[in-house]
Amino acid sequence: MDLDADLKPAEPLLALRGISKRFTGVRALDRVDLDVHAGELHVLFGENGAGKSTLINVVSGTFPPDEGTFHFGGEDIRHLTPQRARSIGISPVFQEFSLVPSLTVEENLFLGREVTRGGILHAREMRKRATALIDELGFDLDPSQRVDDLSRAHQQMTEIAKALLGRVRLLILDEPTASLTERETSRLFELIARLKSQNVGLIYVSHRMREIRALADRVTVLRDGRHIRTLDAATSTDSELVELMTGRKIDLLFPTITHKPDKVMVDVENLTLADGSVRDVNFHARAGEITGVAGLVGCGKSELIRAIYGIEPIVSGTIRIDGLPYDFPAPRRSLRNGVAYFPANRVAEGLALSRPIRENASMTVLDLPAFARFGVLRQAVERTTIQRVMEQLQLRPPNIERTAGALSGGNRQKVMLGRALTRELSVFLFDEPSVGIDVGAKLEVYEFMKRLVEAGAGVIVVSSELPEVLALSNRLYVMHHGRIAAELTGAEKTEQNVLASFFREHLVAEVA
Amino acid sequence: MTTEQSSHKNSFSSEWLWRAVLPIALVVLLLGFAAVDRSVLSPANLLNIAQQTSYLALFAMAQTVVILTRGFDLALGPAVSMVSVGTALAMAGATATGHDPSIVVLAGLGTGFGLGIACGLFNGVVIALLGVSPFVATLGSYNIAIGVATTLSAGRPVQGVPKLFSQLFYGGSIFGIPAAIIITLAIGLALHLMLSRTVFGRSLYIIGTNPRAAAVAGLPVKRILVATYVLCSTLAALGAIMMTARTGSGEPNLGGSLSLQAIAGAVVGGTSLAGGRGGVGTAVLGALFVTILSNGMNLTRIDGYIQMVVLGAIVIIGVLLDRLRLERRR
Repeated sequence: MDLDADLKPAEPLLALRGISKRFTGVRALDRVDLDVHAGELHVLFGENGAGKSTLINVVSGTFPPDEGTFHFGGEDIRHLTPQRARSIGISPVFQEFSLVPSLTVEENLFLGREVTRGGILHAREMRKRATALIDELGFDLDPSQRVDDLSRAHQQMTEIAKALLGRVRLLILDEPTASLTERETSRLFELIARLKSQNVGLIYVSHRMREIRALADRVTVLRDGRHIRTLDAATSTDSELVELMTGRKIDLLFPTITHKPDKVMVDVENLTLADGSVRDVNFHARAGEITGVAGLVGCGKSELIRAIYGIEPIVSGTIRIDGLPYDFPAPRRSLRNGVAYFPANRVAEGLALSRPIRENASMTVLDLPAFARFGVLRQAVERTTIQRVMEQLQLRPPNIERTAGALSGGNRQKVMLGRALTRELSVFLFDEPSVGIDVGAKLEVYEFMKRLVEAGAGVIVVSSELPEVLALSNRLYVMHHGRIAAELTGAEKTEQNVLASFFREHLVAEVA
Repeated sequence: MTTEQSSHKNSFSSEWLWRAVLPIALVVLLLGFAAVDRSVLSPANLLNIAQQTSYLALFAMAQTVVILTRGFDLALGPAVSMVSVGTALAMAGATATGHDPSIVVLAGLGTGFGLGIACGLFNGVVIALLGVSPFVATLGSYNIAIGVATTLSAGRPVQGVPKLFSQLFYGGSIFGIPAAIIITLAIGLALHLMLSRTVFGRSLYIIGTNPRAAAVAGLPVKRILVATYVLCSTLAALGAIMMTARTGSGEPNLGGSLSLQAIAGAVVGGTSLAGGRGGVGTAVLGALFVTILSNGMNLTRIDGYIQMVVLGAIVIIGVLLDRLRLERRR
């Protein structure tokens, strides 16, 4: 940078300083800085929930920041609205389309800025301009077609065309290639190159390394709403980027777990799910050890264990539990086969918040004769059992008649864990077990897993927290794009190897 | 931890306040009407109120069961009409073919409950298995039931309800307490035990609070929902049978505004349309409130159409109060 000092760098087109945004107590953005120069393509990189969407929404005026300054084209901008943003040349293309399905492509392009003559729509002029724009973009689009008749890819093209109608100085693209074919993608890349040469600044959100490599000038990494670092794309490596994106070095003492791998408890062959989130996966987990599954958000790791438990539809493949084939999994049958699932989202899928802790903990055992005879609850048994279990888990305060909604995140997870101790189980599927709970509670959850494994159970841990799965698991699968990218044991089980396998497929794809 | 505890204590005391509101309102309402017309508080009228409440309470309980699971049954009223007509027709037919009175009554009960169960099965299957929203599904069966009731009866009251039937479900009494009150009390007690002491009852609350969590925890959500609608319609059929015994004929218009009245009773009593909250107590209290209100309005000669306005407003106010209560919790 020092070398460039005498070149007097041009003032950035967009300069954000200390931008913060809160949503009902959650800090979505925490003092984020961002510079985008004219003619530059600036990639925003980060996991889901890192704050990329919030940031581009702030830039495009969807919601105002709580604090921080916003300069665009050298001007101090306050009280930005989406209309004003467009009028000063900030044009966003979001993943959620802003198109009106019942209107044509052309009507959508000119929506809110129709060309009129004496108050009457000037259809011919609009048709001419729409056709000219679409031709220039090289898109294969018919301006007179209704949007709801278009494929997703064509809707995406319409959205991009809409953003480029009129004067654009800063174009925001949120994962624009997600629904485009190779050919359409290369068209888009050509277009991006042309815009850059016309001095348009671009903010580009993408997870795809290949695109970042092909397009980016600079990359800003966000994590947990914070600006981690801005790097030059040319001099940064893939693993550096990913480490910045995911790498959370928590100084947390993980318990030392003695793994004694025994028979295979869960065996999955060629599993493919209906939504394609898991494809041709072969996977097994043994009793007496923790099997970890790592991967980025959206790689299919949660869906894999959810399918085993029976809450994601399967199209093909076989599952065996303790050697026996398990067709058509469903939660109650899974529990009867000794398989329990602990969901990542405990509010949505785990707990009935306005019901007492007791009922939440006993929810999974209502089919057992110990808890109900001829459909009549044995409430005394229920009360003493749950009381004992929750004391064992050190619920504080130990009152099982309080509602689950009154509990902190850590205590809610304890209520979920309570279910593990109320019936005979041999396989425990943990989905993001430490999400939303404090450090102390995390330790208790890890200790709990340790006790399960050392008592001979099979435990599968799915986690986006790399240090967590690395430390807990004896054998670690790495998933990427719905497939198993690597299976690591012993000394191979390192952060570098996990990160490397995130991208192995990309490299293969590029060679192919 | 301390904040958790104190917020808990707060919600606990406000919960009691909420519960006390309705009984107080009931007393105020009674006294208010009594100030206009003394006869409101006469023993004869109080017994009359109790008897009228017993019908509505039954229907409000039926609604409560489905509302607990986040559903509701708009078709309850027409189902009552359909059951009334069906029961009367079956009994008239059985009498005409020279059967014994007890066989005649059994034929009527079989037909009435059969129709009720069929209606509930239809609603339950369409809602739980086909995934149609309770509003649309029961709006559909609302019309179907009206159509069936009117077609079967040709739109006219069906005569031929035997004395024994009316005696059993209306005229009879034990220790001077009319049959309708006894039946409703017995059903209320049974339903209360079912809701609080059985796996089925527990499941209703859990499903209503968080259907997704219930499914993930392995509860057979769809099966339970079907059973819930069957239970609702069966209770409605019982109410229809009791009302048919009272009128002495099968009435194609018997159910008229009952759907709304029953929902009003449940909601005013404190059953939450958001699911998971309510019970026999709320249904009975709500039914008592609605009955006293209409009884008082009758005695003080408030126009029948104005009464409909009041009933409609009551439902909306009840729902708003429920939302207010849910928001206060957060």
